[in-house]
Amino acid sequence: MTKTAHAFRLLAAGLLLSAATTAAHAAEDTLVALVPAGPHPYFSAWEQAGKDAAKDFGLEGGDYRVPPKWELSQQNQLLESLVTQGYNGFLVFPGDPVGGNGVVSELVEQGAPVIAGGGCLKEPSDAAFCLGTDTGNSAYIGTQELIKRMGGKGKIAHFAGFLVDPNTQLRIDAVNKAAAETNGAVEVVQVIADIDAPEPAEEKINAYLAAHGNEVDGIVTTAWIPAVVSANALRKMGDKRIKMVGIDHDEVVLQAIKDGFVDGTMLQNPYGQGYIGTFALDRLRSGCTVKEDAPFASTALTDRFIDSGTTFVDASGVDNYVGAMQAITKEIMADFETNYLTCE
Amino acid sequence: MQSMLGKAANTDWFGPLVVVIAAVVVIGAIEPTFLSAFNIQVLLSAIAVNLVIALAQMIIIAIGQMNLSVGAIGGLVAIAFAGMMEVWGIPAPLALVLALAIGLAGGLANGFIVAKTGISAFIITLASLSFFKGLNLGITEAQPFYGVPDAVKAFGNTNMIGPIPWLVLPAAIAGLGIWYLLAKLRIGRQILAVGGNPHAAELSGISIFQTTVWAHGLSGLLAALGGVMVVARLQIGQPSIGDDWLILSFAAPVIGGAVLAGGHVSVAGTALGVVVVAIITQSLVLFHIDPFVVQVVLGALILWAVGINRWREVRVERRLRGAS
Amino acid sequence: MQPASSLPLGQPRSAGSPSFVRAGFLGGNEFGLIVLIVVFATLFTLATKGFASPFNLFTLGRTMGIDILIGFSMMVVIVSGGLNLAVGAIGVCAVMAAGWAMETFGLPWPLGLAVCLLVGAALGAVNGEAIVRSGVHSFIITLATMSIFFGGMVFLSRAEAFRELPPAIAAFGKLRLMGFLSPLLLVAVATALVLGWLYRFTSLGRRMLAAGASPKAAEVSGIRVDRTIVGCHILSGVLAALAGAMLTARHGAAIPSMAGHLGQDWLLPAFLAPVLGGTLLTGGKVSVLGTLLGAMLVSMLTNGLLLLRVGEFWVQAFLGLLLLTAVLLDLGRRRLLARHRIAV
Repeated sequence: MTKTAHAFRLLAAGLLLSAATTAAHAAEDTLVALVPAGPHPYFSAWEQAGKDAAKDFGLEGGDYRVPPKWELSQQNQLLESLVTQGYNGFLVFPGDPVGGNGVVSELVEQGAPVIAGGGCLKEPSDAAFCLGTDTGNSAYIGTQELIKRMGGKGKIAHFAGFLVDPNTQLRIDAVNKAAAETNGAVEVVQVIADIDAPEPAEEKINAYLAAHGNEVDGIVTTAWIPAVVSANALRKMGDKRIKMVGIDHDEVVLQAIKDGFVDGTMLQNPYGQGYIGTFALDRLRSGCTVKEDAPFASTALTDRFIDSGTTFVDASGVDNYVGAMQAITKEIMADFETNYLTCE
Repeated sequence: MQSMLGKAANTDWFGPLVVVIAAVVVIGAIEPTFLSAFNIQVLLSAIAVNLVIALAQMIIIAIGQMNLSVGAIGGLVAIAFAGMMEVWGIPAPLALVLALAIGLAGGLANGFIVAKTGISAFIITLASLSFFKGLNLGITEAQPFYGVPDAVKAFGNTNMIGPIPWLVLPAAIAGLGIWYLLAKLRIGRQILAVGGNPHAAELSGISIFQTTVWAHGLSGLLAALGGVMVVARLQIGQPSIGDDWLILSFAAPVIGGAVLAGGHVSVAGTALGVVVVAIITQSLVLFHIDPFVVQVVLGALILWAVGINRWREVRVERRLRGAS
Repeated sequence: MQPASSLPLGQPRSAGSPSFVRAGFLGGNEFGLIVLIVVFATLFTLATKGFASPFNLFTLGRTMGIDILIGFSMMVVIVSGGLNLAVGAIGVCAVMAAGWAMETFGLPWPLGLAVCLLVGAALGAVNGEAIVRSGVHSFIITLATMSIFFGGMVFLSRAEAFRELPPAIAAFGKLRLMGFLSPLLLVAVATALVLGWLYRFTSLGRRMLAAGASPKAAEVSGIRVDRTIVGCHILSGVLAALAGAMLTARHGAAIPSMAGHLGQDWLLPAFLAPVLGGTLLTGGKVSVLGTLLGAMLVSMLTNGLLLLRVGEFWVQAFLGLLLLTAVLLDLGRRRLLARHRIAV
């Protein structure tokens, strides 16, 4: 963890240079809350990102506030409480793409701009825009990379996250799509879902590999904890035959890539989401508005989507994964204001 | 009375044993990998941890109460164990002792309040569940501790002999210990007596207060052991450890023939109950059964076990009536 | 006549007849709760900014309304001497069924609500029948059915939320009367009046209390205890479904995860409210007003603790301590009253 935190500080230092020019005309009373849907290692990068952005742009604060449980009601309650506490800008990972809209429009009514971060809200929504990973696309690219390493044929097992997370179904569809494009050469033989928690993941993944390990040729994981558990399992089995593409940047996964048990991982960019999101919220409070003709992308949920970046790294790029994320963040940051905002 | 209990105990583990043997033979025949060394090791690891969890509940069922806080104690101990090693650099053996002490203290506190106030254990342990879980979240802010020493990781992930993992050792000690305690020691007999009929137990000079406190203390200790074992197996101190224990902790003793009203439990039956649950969970994965179905099957399994127990009870009653 | 109320919680009652008369209003749970609510409300108003703001009162009332209903859904089974661990699962299943019906057949919201309540009643009936016929304790039966109901729902819905609901539902959840009052709180108060009437003035209500107080005595006096217990579970199912419907109004979508995994996130509020309110776990005694006040106190404390910034993660520890303190204080009060009466 500490290693990761250090990496994020490096990342921040790099960004500051590019951002220093805009810091001058920030609103000093901007108090941003970065609110995930619940505790999850993916979002821990938001904490540093919020702090860094608040310091770099001279805001009153950028605080990471976590609902104690991954549950929409708890998130709503926290958001309501935060606006009462005086927070006036929100970067929110919606606990549900529709269910989050109610509270978001209430926040906006109270004069606090909202950006959906990490995951999107379904239109019509009062969120300014969505800054996140195109999860379906990420799973699709990851599966393609896996298929490439499997020599274009074989059997894939897919270990996925919470069934109640709408992204999970998108990811399952995307993995199946990538496999289907091989015209039957590659087959997804098993999807094990609802295992984004260590105990069930440990039990089910190990049980599966014990029974069918010799039948599968590739593993794709599309959630944080299944990636960690699978990487550990392959290491325990000493298996380098089964190819695997993971997700995110847990140390266990990164080390397994270096040691050759895992072939690569699909990086997402949570730090960039937190940093750029906090910056943008402050701009929105200082009189900027979202451009009508901004170059937004479209997803199934929204047509105001900004891709925070996703990239595949393998053993050759793993040492410089921070650099990879930094490059993406810099690129978005460089002309963010001119591309997406109209400022007085 | 004694002979009746003896007879019932005979049938307690017999049913689940038949199910286990049949399941192993059938599944092994269809899927030979089921009996591979690696699979047996995976199964045994799961069984070892779950047995300790089930025993933590079983001992409370024995005195006719329930302990909803088993998972919360296990979770708190798990993060305390990992946290002490990571943050304070305490060596693993000392951390283990301290962690078990925390569990014991939590259990004793439960027992003390229940026994002192006479308020139902359900309410007290619901409150302490929330308190222990709250402490856990407050300390960790839901972030895991990663600094688990290699020796601990190895203990959770390597084998003792052949395909038998080290984790089986503490589970076996706990199982034999509880069996010995219930069958041979005074405190064990007192626990069963209080569970069977508190009024009669009190009349015969047993202190309900002490018995309740000790039973809960024991339950806390076992929950703590379970928490430590999960840390060893997962290799991290994850705050969500224990969240899923509730259903399992009741399912296994009930499948093993425990009477929820108290006074009658079976260590062997509970162990077999754990094995049944483990085999079912694994065979669902083995046979590519829809992950969405798992919950339904677990629920149905509990109902099935309860039905069997109920049926047996009715039969025993009838036989008794015939005998008298 | 105070034989029932002077007994400590959890101890079996010897008296057979249901008792509505309590140890005077001033010595009662309700009065104690009102004092606590007033004290804490004053404290929070003074110590935090925004506790008494219209927006906070509105969101607090909305949360209270839902928590009160959840508390009632458990209270009506506790009355019969049983438990219903499946309240959350039933609530979610009911709104998912209604969401499906509204989305697929385009039903208007009143029919959707009817479907929701009917499904709740049906699942409650399943619980009740299973308990009565098997003679197994409701704890184990509902532990199993919570797993079965929830699993079945996830299986049928593929864990996908129903989001295309009539807009009136979300509008109801956002409606603000006089700037600070949520209609959801009014629904809860209306339900409380109906339940109060049920237990005080109808023979069905009296039968439920009698069956809970002493099944044998009730049976002797000609009450069909089995049918009455099934009735309690049906009522519990309906109330759980109503709580789910209110939560759906708040979110604007029927979401499978809204009560947590297996619906178990409802359990703590479900037990907190009746137990704080003085409803005996052994059955036979009920306090509708107490449950209402208990739920209000819990929601208010959660809200206040969040505003005090004690840290999101510590709130649950405080609630656990609160429950513990409340039952201990209640016990002390009862003992004091009992001693006082003997002395006089």
